[in-house]
Amino acid sequence: MKIHVYAKLKDYFQPEFELMETIGNTDELRAVLVKMNGGAGELLSSCRFAVEEGFIDKDFKLKAHDTVVIIPPSSGG
Amino acid sequence: MTQSSSYRPAAEVSSAPPAPATPPVAISAEPLDIVGLLAGAHHPGAGAVVLFSGEVRNSNKGLAVNFLEYEAYIPLATKLIDEIVEEAHAKWQLHIAIAQHRIGKVAVGDTAVVVITASAHRSEAYAANRYIIDRIKHEAPIWKCEHYADGSQEWGNNCNCHTVTGDISKHIYETQ
Repeated sequence: MKIHVYAKLKDYFQPEFELMETIGNTDELRAVLVKMNGGAGELLSSCRFAVEEGFIDKDFKLKAHDTVVIIPPSSGG
Repeated sequence: MTQSSSYRPAAEVSSAPPAPATPPVAISAEPLDIVGLLAGAHHPGAGAVVLFSGEVRNSNKGLAVNFLEYEAYIPLATKLIDEIVEEAHAKWQLHIAIAQHRIGKVAVGDTAVVVITASAHRSEAYAANRYIIDRIKHEAPIWKCEHYADGSQEWGNNCNCHTVTGDISKHIYETQ
């Protein structure tokens, strides 16, 4: 599974990386990421996730070939 | 009599709606041409045109700011901004609605985001403009990094609605 992160998340992770674990949904993905870097836990709890240019919720079933974009709270304008 | 280049005698002013122009891209890595966008935002049916320019301030939290750097998840930001503009267009029956946001390095005093709305009367143009910029700031996946004069930098974290709504995908104005 490919992961892309933006903004402050880049303080904790590479902008793009790959996970080999079996991950079924966003809750599991969040847990894997917190295990990788516990410092990102609070920020990850306020992040949304997107696949194929659309937001997904925790019920969305992730697949191994998905590219998941992790989206911190917006701060545009 | 001297005439400015933009002057046209009343008899030459057409009452027909202008031909639809290609809408500007929602996300731009180039400086935003707010004068050019405004020049193209006039419509014979519009008695009001509102332009909002969000500009880079020289200070934040008491620290001097050198510049801001914006980044976006461009495909989704573009899609969301286009949807927000379309919704506002329909909701307030606007003649013109434009929104464009910068990415990359933006200097103090430069425009980071522009929203233009044109409608028959001012109340709709003002309301729609506010609606568009509020939703862009809260929902579009765009982030700014403040670069301070002391050499430090900090990612902005403007939208914390989830601390009130309890849902990371729900914003304060959606519960009002």
